Amino acid sequence: MAITIEEVKEKSLKDKIIDYIQEDVPDHLYTWPYTLGAIPLVLFAILLITGILMTFYYIPYPDRAYESVRDITYSIYLGWFIRGMHKLAVNLMILSLLLHMVRVFITRAYKDNGEVKWLLGAGIFFTSLAFGFTGYSLVYDNVSYWGMVVVTNMAGELPVVGKTLLLLLRGGEEVSEFTLIRLYDLHTKLLPLLIIVLITGHILAVRLLGFAKLGTDLKSVPTEGMHKFFPEHAMEVGLISICLLIFIVDIVMLFPPTLGTAANPLEVASNVSPPWYFSAVYKWITIVPRDAGLFAVMLFIILFFAYPYIDRFLSKRGTDMWRVNITISAAAVIVFTILTLWEIVRV
Amino acid sequence: MGVIHDNLSRRKFLSSAFMTLGLSFGLGTLFIRFGQFLTPEKKEKRIGEVLIGNFTDIPDGAATPLEISGNKILVVRSKDRITAFSRICTDLGCLVSWDAAREQFICPCHQGVYDKNGKNIAGPPPRPLDRFEILAKGENVYIRV
Ligand code: FES
Repeated sequence: MAITIEEVKEKSLKDKIIDYIQEDVPDHLYTWPYTLGAIPLVLFAILLITGILMTFYYIPYPDRAYESVRDITYSIYLGWFIRGMHKLAVNLMILSLLLHMVRVFITRAYKDNGEVKWLLGAGIFFTSLAFGFTGYSLVYDNVSYWGMVVVTNMAGELPVVGKTLLLLLRGGEEVSEFTLIRLYDLHTKLLPLLIIVLITGHILAVRLLGFAKLGTDLKSVPTEGMHKFFPEHAMEVGLISICLLIFIVDIVMLFPPTLGTAANPLEVASNVSPPWYFSAVYKWITIVPRDAGLFAVMLFIILFFAYPYIDRFLSKRGTDMWRVNITISAAAVIVFTILTLWEIVRV
Repeated sequence: MGVIHDNLSRRKFLSSAFMTLGLSFGLGTLFIRFGQFLTPEKKEKRIGEVLIGNFTDIPDGAATPLEISGNKILVVRSKDRITAFSRICTDLGCLVSWDAAREQFICPCHQGVYDKNGKNIAGPPPRPLDRFEILAKGENVYIRV
């Protein structure tokens, strides 16, 4: 960009804001794999609104939790609609985050200043999973009750931090009313705070450090056009939001949310299972020796966060990281799908 | 008070080092206290004997589930032997139930299997089921919890 005389002069705040919202963004954001970042953001907004709405009816006490969810689902006017949107939006959000990650991973967009984006993004992803688990437990039907027992126990088996983590999550040795209120606090207060900070950081990093460049792995970087953040890009995000809303509303209409039987601490649900995004990990730890399995999961998380640095280390030594990444992501997608299906489709 | 200028930077350094140390110590202890507030200590378990019934009351070959002061227990009688197991699966804490036909304890969560002596024989459970002591006083059966 050439520097003009106006730019040399001190700009007024208004001009700065106008400049900011009219900043040029690259044209490849028009292609669908590059909309995968905006989709979770829109979904998060939906989750925030529907979530706040449900806190007006939900009662985080073991004797009342299930009842209040049942009321939301079956008797409160439009309760089913709000809960349905919330439930569907969280599934879509995690799905789109997964796809977004695959896209970033394959295009190696975490390079050249992208590390911060990657770290914040990974934080957002794991926070979303924590949201998924806590929200699932709040429903307090039998499946989610036993899911809560199993998952908190699993946290308790982690080396070193396990015991403390278990006490922190459960508020005691056993699952009790304190467990429910803690998960509720996490789900409606601490995690939202955390994810809002992370999302803000992630978006700021994307805007300040620049969007991912297209084709950094190819020898020739294609020259591409630009369009303005506002109105063109904003319009595009608006279009995505509208499509998502229509989709979500339709699906909720067709498949209103349901509810299992009430939690029973004396009777294990016959189909104890976590939500689908945990199925792969859940299957994994049941088919391999427990300690090794948990260790592998921890290692995976650490490697995941550190990947941009691993990439830099290896590519300096002449590894063709583009190939490596394609192979890893293909393998990861296949393994994830197999484990997930294996867990979900039980024979 | 006269200020010796040669020592200014050193003094500055020392005082800020002192501040940092003090502050991190203070805040550190405070946050450890906050953490302790959130991680309640385990309550001392009281041990007592509870009468669970007459010997003949306990069905043979079946497992009777009981809940005594928060302990989930299965009492199993085979002929004249009575044993009591905790229902908590040693894997990840689901509840086992008794399969009378196979004479085994089954955990539905990850298909853990224990034999009739509580020994883990299949699936992920790492150790046998916990036991409770059974005392017989005449015809009466007591359990220690
Ligand atoms: S909890 Fe019983 S087998 Fe895993």
